[in-house]
Amino acid sequence: MNDDYSSIWSYRLKWLYTLLVVATLMLPVFYVMYISFNENGFGAADYDFTLEWYSGIFTDTLMLASLKNTALLSAVTIVIVVPMGVIAAKLYKSTRYQLAIVSLMLSPLFVPSDILGSALLVFFKNLNASFTVFGEWIGIDWFDTWFELGYFSAIIGLIVYTLPYVFVVVLITMARYREQQTEAARSCGATAWQAFWHVEFPQIRAGVFSSCAFTVILTFNEYTRTSLLKGGFDTFTSVLVSQMLNEGMSEQSYAMSSMVSYIAISIIGSVIIYTLIRSERLEREARAKAEPVMAI
Amino acid sequence: MTKLGNIAVEVADLAKNYGAVRALKSINLQIGSGEYFVLLGPSGGGKTTLLRLIGGFIRPSGGTIRLHGQDVSELPPNARPTSMVFQSFALFPHMTVAGNVGYGLRLRKLPAREIQSRVDDMLEMVGLAGFGERMPHELSGGQQQRVQLARSLVLETDILLLDEPLAALDAKLRKDMCIELKRLQEKVGITFIHVTHNQEEAMTVADDLAIIASGELVEVGKSVDLYENPVHRFTADFIGENNIFDGRVSSVDGDHVNVDIGFGTVAVGARGQQVAVGSEVSISVRSELLHTIAGEDSREDASEILPGVHRETVYLGLTTSELITLPNGNEVLSRRISDGTDVANISSGSAVSVGWRKQDGRLHIA
Repeated sequence: MNDDYSSIWSYRLKWLYTLLVVATLMLPVFYVMYISFNENGFGAADYDFTLEWYSGIFTDTLMLASLKNTALLSAVTIVIVVPMGVIAAKLYKSTRYQLAIVSLMLSPLFVPSDILGSALLVFFKNLNASFTVFGEWIGIDWFDTWFELGYFSAIIGLIVYTLPYVFVVVLITMARYREQQTEAARSCGATAWQAFWHVEFPQIRAGVFSSCAFTVILTFNEYTRTSLLKGGFDTFTSVLVSQMLNEGMSEQSYAMSSMVSYIAISIIGSVIIYTLIRSERLEREARAKAEPVMAI
Repeated sequence: MTKLGNIAVEVADLAKNYGAVRALKSINLQIGSGEYFVLLGPSGGGKTTLLRLIGGFIRPSGGTIRLHGQDVSELPPNARPTSMVFQSFALFPHMTVAGNVGYGLRLRKLPAREIQSRVDDMLEMVGLAGFGERMPHELSGGQQQRVQLARSLVLETDILLLDEPLAALDAKLRKDMCIELKRLQEKVGITFIHVTHNQEEAMTVADDLAIIASGELVEVGKSVDLYENPVHRFTADFIGENNIFDGRVSSVDGDHVNVDIGFGTVAVGARGQQVAVGSEVSISVRSELLHTIAGEDSREDASEILPGVHRETVYLGLTTSELITLPNGNEVLSRRISDGTDVANISSGSAVSVGWRKQDGRLHIA
């Protein structure tokens, strides 16, 4: 199990500690799943198993609409922010002014969410007012609702929020990539785009997909900025928080939250299992092909 | 400049600056078609910069680059008739060997069958038949380098650029690959431009050599000429094991120049160079032509003789070297083929002389 002289108990204790940390992190999630099957809801003394709340998900129009809005926000944000992050990471790698780039890209992380949200709120209010006045001045009303609070302003807020994370995740994956491979592709006749798509992207793909997943998680998790910028529509988090503050969470909320967790855990778990199985298969194939290297 | 009927590469007043740093200073060079041309020089001298300019990977600050007569100065790498082999292998790790080699052909949208056939032929040419389905990480260093060569040669471009292709290989492998590269170049007949700082590698493969140092083209010529009759002091200092004597011209006697080196005067052939009395010059003598004269020994053929003190004898198998300190504190090296019974015949610290024939000295005015 271990090839050095460290104690076997030390090894076991490290594993136990790791499992405890995972268990602690997952405990609230498992508890929500447990509650979601209780007919009597949260806090009840008796526990009666039911699937009623899960069937109620599909009739809770408020919850479904909020989930749809959040999914739409995350999809649009991914399409915009992930290419931006990849381009920023490539610029960082190719420029001398790396400190300036990284400072600029990470700066939103150093502004508290409520202040950033408030600043963007004031920005959009002023922008909307300015364009409305401009429209009145030139005699058209096209601009009247352009920068009203809504999907557009919410997406801008999400882009500002998620871009630093996407930048860092992609940059970490790009760190292993050697630019000479791009040059090799160019010398084979590839254009810059072909070199990126055929050679670089396959090697940073894991980082790009991770940043997509990260963006989804951040979007679902985000409350403060989106609440200030979304205007009249509901997001998944804003509905949950609103319920909690006003009347307590509905039982369908627990069911819906659990459903999201099931999906997330299934996807991540499948990816992990697939990766483990694939790497084992590749290792077996490599061992089978290996032969002593005698000749050049 | 080389003078061949068909010029593959011609650079005129080519320069590259990085801010205040002049990486390349107005280079003028011609490389003939079908030549194995080597850019040799110390690290940081500008040879890789020149190669990358030819390949289109960096933009020149001034001057022009012509490939087969066409000005390509503004063209990107994929639009030039060049392909490149890199120092650190630069294989695509997510593609198989066949995938790597066939990449350029797939970009050209050739039929799959033709791609397969050309890839197979090229792998056979580089000695990797049957390796098509392997991944790069499953190959040795030498094999990876062959895959790079195959990937470049399969494109049938006119000019192959090699940027220190053997630097990452061990000494034995490097020697074998040198021969292999030379063989391949003779077989395919295209122009190879090879950058290296290793003079043994350069001498093995080169038809012609260019010495590049401090961003300047120092000297161009055949390997044998640069080794036996270098024009510039730098070339003599860089190629081979030469002893350099700096001094001033004390007198000019027809074809010969007498040079005062501080503790003596030595004569050297002018080799057609014009020198003035009092000008600073250098004389170089190959270490294998400089003889150690100890005790009662004499060398009738050594006309130029200097006193010294023997420091050390170094036995290197094929050769034995003697290190001698001259009166001005400089050390000279005398090499000879070991005679089989060789041990330290001369004791360290003993007074000796070093001598050479007048015609074995080379005069350098720059």
